[in-house]
Parts: sequence; structure tokens; C-alpha cells
Amino acid sequence: MDAFQRHLQKVDYLENNADRLQREIENEMITHSILPQHRSEVSTLIDELDEIIDALKSSLNEINIEMPDIPSSLNKNLISLAETSINAAEELIPAARAYFKAPFTVREKLLKVYYFESETDKLSFSTKKIIFQDMNELDLAHKAHLRYIIHHIENVSDLAQKAADLLSGMAIKIVM
Amino acid sequence: MILFFLTSGLFLGWSLGANDASHIFGSAVGSKMVTFRKAAVIASVFFILGAVIQGSGTSHTLDKLGSVNAIGGSFTLALAAAVTIYMMTKFALPISTTQAIVGAIIGWNFFTGNHTDSKTLEKIVSAWIAGPVIGAVFAVLLYIAVKKFKNSSRIHLIRFESYIKTGLILVGAFGAYSLGANNIANVMGVFVPAFHLADLDLGIFTLSSNQQLFLLGGLACASGIITYSWKVMNTIGNNILELSSEAALVVVLAQSLVLFIFSSTTLSNLIVKTGLPPIPMVPVSSSQVIVGCILGIGLYKGARNINFKVLGEIGLGWIISPVASGLLTFFLLFFMKNIFGINVGTKTGELTGAPDLTSNLTMYGQNDVSGIIKYLLMGLLIFGTIGIIFYILLENKKRREMQRSEEKFWKNMK
Repeated sequence: MDAFQRHLQKVDYLENNADRLQREIENEMITHSILPQHRSEVSTLIDELDEIIDALKSSLNEINIEMPDIPSSLNKNLISLAETSINAAEELIPAARAYFKAPFTVREKLLKVYYFESETDKLSFSTKKIIFQDMNELDLAHKAHLRYIIHHIENVSDLAQKAADLLSGMAIKIVM
Repeated sequence: MILFFLTSGLFLGWSLGANDASHIFGSAVGSKMVTFRKAAVIASVFFILGAVIQGSGTSHTLDKLGSVNAIGGSFTLALAAAVTIYMMTKFALPISTTQAIVGAIIGWNFFTGNHTDSKTLEKIVSAWIAGPVIGAVFAVLLYIAVKKFKNSSRIHLIRFESYIKTGLILVGAFGAYSLGANNIANVMGVFVPAFHLADLDLGIFTLSSNQQLFLLGGLACASGIITYSWKVMNTIGNNILELSSEAALVVVLAQSLVLFIFSSTTLSNLIVKTGLPPIPMVPVSSSQVIVGCILGIGLYKGARNINFKVLGEIGLGWIISPVASGLLTFFLLFFMKNIFGINVGTKTGELTGAPDLTSNLTMYGQNDVSGIIKYLLMGLLIFGTIGIIFYILLENKKRREMQRSEEKFWKNMK
């Protein structure tokens, strides 16, 4: 539990930092007329990236408040689901960096994001199937709660995919 | 009266500023890399410098096409060309002053029965064709080079764009200088044979008669750039093809190079020294060159994004403008001669027998007009300097206020 609180605090700090950076970048871009042609797209991309950490923070807060009762048989599935979902978000970072230095490599890097997002979907589907079809000892409210938590974890990779779609379009535009 | 005649030349100068000069920074403003205000100030200053320092090169070519030998004729010619360009600018069509003025001179030749030197006309028209073709080739080659550099150097996008921005300003300034040098002859060239002003000693340097005329024309162009060039800039920068920042730089660079090639006597002399034929000193159509450059890049990128409707309208404008300008000149000359009784020029052979208005002007100009123009130029220079100082102070004040509000914002955010 201590470890969870420590991580939650770190995410909270990072989220505040990301918000501050977002405002600073947008401010700098306007006042110094940086990337005038790509400004709106870069702002949207930063917004999408910020949304991922926002979603992470709000999901962790919900988990902190609701304290879901997770059966030990599901531990492995949920950890694997969380890791895959986070991987999708992490793979966005090199792709976003490449947009500024080597835009022709962006789409190649984004393939990993799409891969992890699809893996997250598969894992989420199989975990939900186990909960609703194999775990008859759980009541419906418990099952629904677990599904809700899974949706929260899955949401991270979905948001990563949304940002990846935007980044992919931006990369084509800049390379052409 | 003589200054009244010059007003049509100044109107033509204003039109040139509103239409031709907007080609230089059109792509930079259209791609949002340079603000319109900054572009207008840089283009104005460098256009004037180009006109005064290097402006005499191409005026001789127009003299050869038809040497207008009466100030009334120069007035009518410039007026007809200016009206044509103004109408085209109203429709946001990038046409060239060269086309309008050449059409007008031919109209004058027809009216006065003068022979149009077909060789010179051929030289000018061939430059109209060669200009955009050379522009397109230059643009494609430069575009490939810039793209290759961008991809191989892995330069950060923000740094690259900042270089492009600086490049656009530098090349734009060079382009404005070249345009001033090449195209001022279109505005003031027709007045050159009729005006002989006394040299103007400004202390640091002396301005000859032609340079004084070109300076006046340059100032008129600057007012055209500042007040009315926005529309055509938008057509150049956005409507034909959506330009990326590097394409914007390439377009301005290629156009400036073409204009410079056709107006640099030094470069032409250098080429002659190597044994090659000289470059013809012809007023090139800047609109045709820039459209050629944009088209070259569009075709290189696969022609999918080119707006052919706008391109068709521009092409039509290029055909209409010399014809319309010629016809308008012919009719205006008719009215000026028969209704107002103004001498609009005579057939070159008859000039000896006819009362020589230009020589009268020469004498008249030496005494009074030079004085008026001297004070006019001094006044404009002082007014311009005060304006620039006021603008800098205003910008500084705005920046300081912005900085203060920023500091306050971030202090409260923490």
C-alpha cells in the first residue's frame, strides 16, 4: 500500500509538471512565433500526451478511493494488462521525439504503439471473459467493479493510440 | 504641371508595390513564417535601395522599345498601366507591371505611329517565357537540396524552422532589392527621357536625375506594399499551392536569383569575359517567375495539390493585362490629345519639327522642379525616419508590457 501511495504521489507530481510544461510550451510557441505552420498540431499533440498522464492520475485516484478487491488468481492478468497498456504509452515518446528530428521514422516507431494497444485489447478481453464466465464465486457487483478497473487500465493504451493517430498524420504532412 | 504628370507614375509605383512586390514575401507570409508587417517594412526598405542603387540597368531596354518623347504621353502610359494593375490587384491576381507597361508602350507606339522595335519586344517576351522556366528549374533544384539537407542532417525541427525564418527574411530582402533594381524601370522608365533634374546633393551622397525619379517611384512602391499588398500575398502564399516553410524559402530564393540574373550588369559582364553571350538586361515579370517557381515545386511533388483553377485565372490575367493596358493607353491618348489638347508624343522622325516639350521640361526642371523634388524627398526621408523610430518604440513598449504580464502570470501560477 505504501508503494502504491508513493507511486500515486509521483504521478501527481509528474501530472502537475506536465501541465506547467504544456502551458509554457504553448506560450513560448505563440510569443516567439515558433513553428507557425505546425503550431496548432503540436499543441494538440501535447494536449493528447498530457491527457494520458491526466487519465493515469484520475484512474489511480479512483483505485485509491474504491480499493477494488482483486482475486489473487487475476493478479498476473492485471499486471500484464497494466504493463502492456503502459508500454503503448511509453512507445509514443520516441515517436514524438522523432517527429522533430527524423519525421520519416515516426510511423515505423508508431507501429509499436499500435501493437501494444492491440495486445492490451486482447488481454482485457480475455481477463473480462475469465471474470464473467469462469469466476462464478464473485457476485455481479464485484465483477462489474473489476470490469470498471480494467477499463481504466485499458484507457491508457486507447489514449496512446489516439495520440499515435494524430502523430502519424502530422508525420506524413511534414515529410511530404 | 510637371509634378501632376508624375502622379500617374507614382500611382503606377503604388500598383507595383501592391502587386509585384507582394510576390517577394507572399510565400513567407502565406506560410506564416513572417508576419505581414515585418515583410512590408523589409520589402519597402530594400525595394527603395535596389531602385536607387541599381535601378538604371533595365530602363534602357524600355527606352529601346518605345522612347516616349512627351511628358503627356508618359503620364497617360503610366496611368493606363496603373489602372490595369489596380484592377488585377482588386481580383487578387498576381500580374506583372512589366506586362502592363510593355502593353502600354506598344499602345503609345500605335497611336503615335512609331515603330515598335520587334527585336526588343522579342527579347522582352522571350524573357517572360524564360523567366518562369528558369525559376521552376531553380526552385526544383533548390527544393531537392534543402530537403536532402533536412533529412540527412537530422536537424531539430524548431532549429531548422528558425534558420528558414532568418533565410526568408534575408532572401526576401535580397528579392526586394533585385525587384527594385529590375522593375523600377517599369514605373519611372517612361519618365526618364522627359525628366532632367539637377543632381541632388544630400551631403553623404549625390542623387542623379534618374536616381531621384527612382527614389520617388520606390517610395510610391513602398506605400503600395504597406497599404494594399495583402490580397496578392495571400494568392501567392496559399491559393496556388499550400507551401511548406522550406518551399517558401526556395520559392523566394529562386525568384530573387532569376531577377538578379536579369538585372545585374556586373554578372553579365563576367559572363561575357568567359566567352559566353551576355545576359539580356530585361525587366523580367516577377509574377511569372514566382508562379513558375511555385508550379515547379508543385509538379515535383506530384501536381496533386496544385489549384489549377487559380492558375488558369492567373494565366488569363497575364494575357489580358498587356492587351488591356495597350488598348486603354490608345484610348486615353486619344482623349488627352483631342479633348485636352496635350502633346502626347510624336513620331520619332517628326520630332525635330515639332515643339520639343522635353527640352522645355529640362530647362524648367533644372530650376523649379529640382527644388520641389529636393524638399519632397527630404520631407519624405525625415517623415520615414520618424515613422520607423516611432514604430520601434511602440514595439518595445508592447514587448515590455507582454513581459510584465507574463511574469505576473507565472508568479501567480506558482
